[in-house]
Amino acid sequence: MNFTHALTLGLLPELMLAGTAVVSVTVAVARPGLRPDIHRWIACIGLVGSLVACGLILLGLRGVPTGVGIVVWRGGLTVDSFSVFIAILAGITALASCLVSDTPVRRIPARSSAFYGLVLVATAAVDAIAAERDMVTFFITLVLLLVCLVALGALVKTDPRGGVSSFEHLVEGVIGTACVLYGLVVLYGVTGSTNLAVVVGSVRTAPGVVALSAALVLLGLCATLGVFPLRQWVGRVGSNVPAGAAGFIIAMSVIGGGAALARVTVSGFGAGVRPWLWLVSVIASLALGHASLSALRESSVSRLVGHLVSAQAAMLLLGLLAFSTGSLGVPAYGMTAFLAGLGITSVATLAAFGVLSMIQRAGIEDAITDMRGLAHRSAPAALLLSVAVATLAGIPPLAGFLSRLLLVTSAADAGYGWLAVVAIAATLLTIIAAVRFIGLLYADVGDEVPFTLGATPLVSRVVAGAACLAGVVLVVLIQPLLAVATAGAGPLR
Amino acid sequence: MGAHHVNVILSSIIWTPMLFAVVAMFLPERDDEQRGRVRTVALAGAGLSFFVSAFFAILGQIGLGQGGGLSSAYQESHAWFWTFLFHAYYDLTADGMTLPLLVVTTTIFGCVIFHSWKIHERVRLYVILMLVLETAVNGVLCSADFVLFVAFWGLMLVPMYVLIRVYGGPGARRAAAWFAGFQGLAFVMIVATVAIIIIEAGNQSSDMVQDLKSFSTPAETIGFWMSFVAFAIAMAIFPVHTWMVEAQSKASPGVAAILSGTMLLLGAYGMMRISLVVFPAPAHYYSFAITGLAVVGAFWGSIGALRQDELRRFVAYMNVAQMSMVLLAIGAQTSVALVGAILLLAAHAFASAMLTLISGGVEERTRTTSIRAMGGLVAQAPRLAGFWLFAALSVIGIPALAGFTADFMVFSGSFPEHRIATVLVMASVIITTGGLLWVANRVFFGPVRDQFARVRDVTLLDLTVLIPLVGAVLLFGIRPGAIIPIISNGVLEITTRIAGG
Repeated sequence: MNFTHALTLGLLPELMLAGTAVVSVTVAVARPGLRPDIHRWIACIGLVGSLVACGLILLGLRGVPTGVGIVVWRGGLTVDSFSVFIAILAGITALASCLVSDTPVRRIPARSSAFYGLVLVATAAVDAIAAERDMVTFFITLVLLLVCLVALGALVKTDPRGGVSSFEHLVEGVIGTACVLYGLVVLYGVTGSTNLAVVVGSVRTAPGVVALSAALVLLGLCATLGVFPLRQWVGRVGSNVPAGAAGFIIAMSVIGGGAALARVTVSGFGAGVRPWLWLVSVIASLALGHASLSALRESSVSRLVGHLVSAQAAMLLLGLLAFSTGSLGVPAYGMTAFLAGLGITSVATLAAFGVLSMIQRAGIEDAITDMRGLAHRSAPAALLLSVAVATLAGIPPLAGFLSRLLLVTSAADAGYGWLAVVAIAATLLTIIAAVRFIGLLYADVGDEVPFTLGATPLVSRVVAGAACLAGVVLVVLIQPLLAVATAGAGPLR
Repeated sequence: MGAHHVNVILSSIIWTPMLFAVVAMFLPERDDEQRGRVRTVALAGAGLSFFVSAFFAILGQIGLGQGGGLSSAYQESHAWFWTFLFHAYYDLTADGMTLPLLVVTTTIFGCVIFHSWKIHERVRLYVILMLVLETAVNGVLCSADFVLFVAFWGLMLVPMYVLIRVYGGPGARRAAAWFAGFQGLAFVMIVATVAIIIIEAGNQSSDMVQDLKSFSTPAETIGFWMSFVAFAIAMAIFPVHTWMVEAQSKASPGVAAILSGTMLLLGAYGMMRISLVVFPAPAHYYSFAITGLAVVGAFWGSIGALRQDELRRFVAYMNVAQMSMVLLAIGAQTSVALVGAILLLAAHAFASAMLTLISGGVEERTRTTSIRAMGGLVAQAPRLAGFWLFAALSVIGIPALAGFTADFMVFSGSFPEHRIATVLVMASVIITTGGLLWVANRVFFGPVRDQFARVRDVTLLDLTVLIPLVGAVLLFGIRPGAIIPIISNGVLEITTRIAGG
């Protein structure tokens, strides 16, 4: 296979997404009066196409023991089972988001093509991040993802607070990308190459500078992953952007941040650059503590969900640490737990914001006290919200709990017992926060006016319900997810 | 009756209540008739689970008798997930320890579901949560895989929290918060213990049998104390009993009965199944500390009970004293004491559930929770007083009732190992006895009070709830010989491990 063919096949999902975005915008320009649904279905077709393309790449990867399919630009672009896993996860997340996007898009019918175009380009950016090991393109795709997500938030805003929160998201994102940029520049100065794959070979010359660059890159990527110290945007986007869009923005950022971190740390630095290991462990412990404590004293539902997503994202960092060999000398399964956790987190995030979207549409306010007695007003809404929040918080026996258990055991197996203890303590806090919230949903209020979720279109209800159900079903069917995650983690182990 | 012949028995005991909970979820509850239907469906779920467990407990006895040694009556095993650091299994087992406790828990859940006829609001939610809770409790008892055990244990948290908070009286919110805090802490400590076991065992498995190994000393000590504290919280042992006192006094009577009847039982079961079996060396090494704690707890519970003015707080402190006796047996670690501990768990579960339900009934009739404000109820409610005395006598350990054999075995089994501690705990029983009789005297006897002149005696519904519990207390009291061989078989695993096997 020559270079052009390899590049085309490797980037087929991204190309399909970008192409569909162009088609959607072109159709909007040519036929301005079209119903928003048309653009939604165009986006869905593009996303399904990209998933089919991922399937084709997987077919090509069948029988390749290393899981690495296409390598071009001297390893700068690597299409392997990891990047395909991330592309499929991002594709499914985007597809589900498009299907539940009726509420936010209905308010901006004239700009629906822009909405779906941004969704598609953001998805393509995440796909590309997962495949990049060249610093320049890696950085560009990271910025592209940030711009798309910020623009998406600003596009669907319903009041000035939405604009402000998008601006704050932008500021935090810019600080993060600046850190990443400085880190990558320092790394380039040391290694003389923009290829992360060759960094390891050059670290011995200036270990201190490499440690500094690693710290800057990791700090910057915290903003994308939505963990402490750059995680304020998660709560603000969650509470000020309509839930249907906020779910996509947060979930896609977590997937993109997770993929970027895995590529930079495990695939780039690897075992050769040791400082990133303790940096990640420190960040994880601080992030877990901060998000969990914030969840305990939160008064807004969507911000509570945001804190829980942050805590779950911080938990994913434990998987990164267990990437090489475990205590028994057998390959560690940290990356398997990481990818499985990433999948569960994104599904649970979509579920929580999908249900919140339905509740918002029914006219319920966002304060936790407004949710008091929700079960007596709409039992399905309370049930779905309970399941989604419980999954995110790691309440057993739901999938979020299993994900945390796998991450904690893999970190402990890799010698990070103290971090496992911190993670378990943080889980206790998130569980208490979630249990307290769920209890409130079923408490008495006295003057209960029933409402139904009927105002939300059937498709949105089905998708949000399915996402909630996934939190239960994945407990039983965790093995297929783990098998896929193990295959995805193959090139990184 | 081997595992290869019948292999869905345990699953059906566990999942039948959940299945009926799902059915109940789709039933309307707009009027009394519909609410009655919801309760009937729930009763069918709990009843079916009870009949299967009771029927197969008998067959299990035969199976265990034929098998002898360390065999389990029933086993189910399916791979759950395996592409990971460790393999986890949907692994269920019911040995001699589990079978009687399964019968106990399913009986109590059945009675409490009957009691739901006294709940008139949010009936559907109540019975659904009860059925989910029953699934979790039965699942914990049958789990033979650490991850499965933890998953079922965790499943109890949310339903119990909501039940305490939503159906409790004034102060229920605080009691629920105490419950969530303590039980959440216990839960994460169990998770940490399980992580230690899986990693230290090095078997790449979370199977409870495969992971029975000798661990390194620090891991073993940390694991033991972590599991011990976790299960001590669940058992409501002194000094981590406050959550139970709060929850017991503020939750609705049915929920409080489940709390004292099954949750405490699970704590003791977990301590025996994990703290003793997995970490036998530290369990033996620290047995003196365990029995010391039992002595303090026994006195704290019995004396604390005397200081209470609320009827259900009194029962809660009695629970602390009773659980301290179980702890004494766990500290003694002899076969006789441990068999006695299982019997005591069963006897306590029935008696405590009765006392709690009757206390709720008394409070409902007198519209007061204060013991001082009550008195002379025997004139209006003689049968209610009779049931209270019956349960109290079982707690005291009167011959022919379940508590007698249990107490006798606990003390006779513990005495050779810890003589002073056993004598001290026995002395605390005198205070417990005095307390129970004093409360009976204050509440039911003495001069008849005018404000209670219209108090009614037990209703048909009360009888329906209480008579099965009375029957169970009598059955365990009159025919302990039928159940002791089964329990001995299960306890053999613990004593073998402690002996170094």
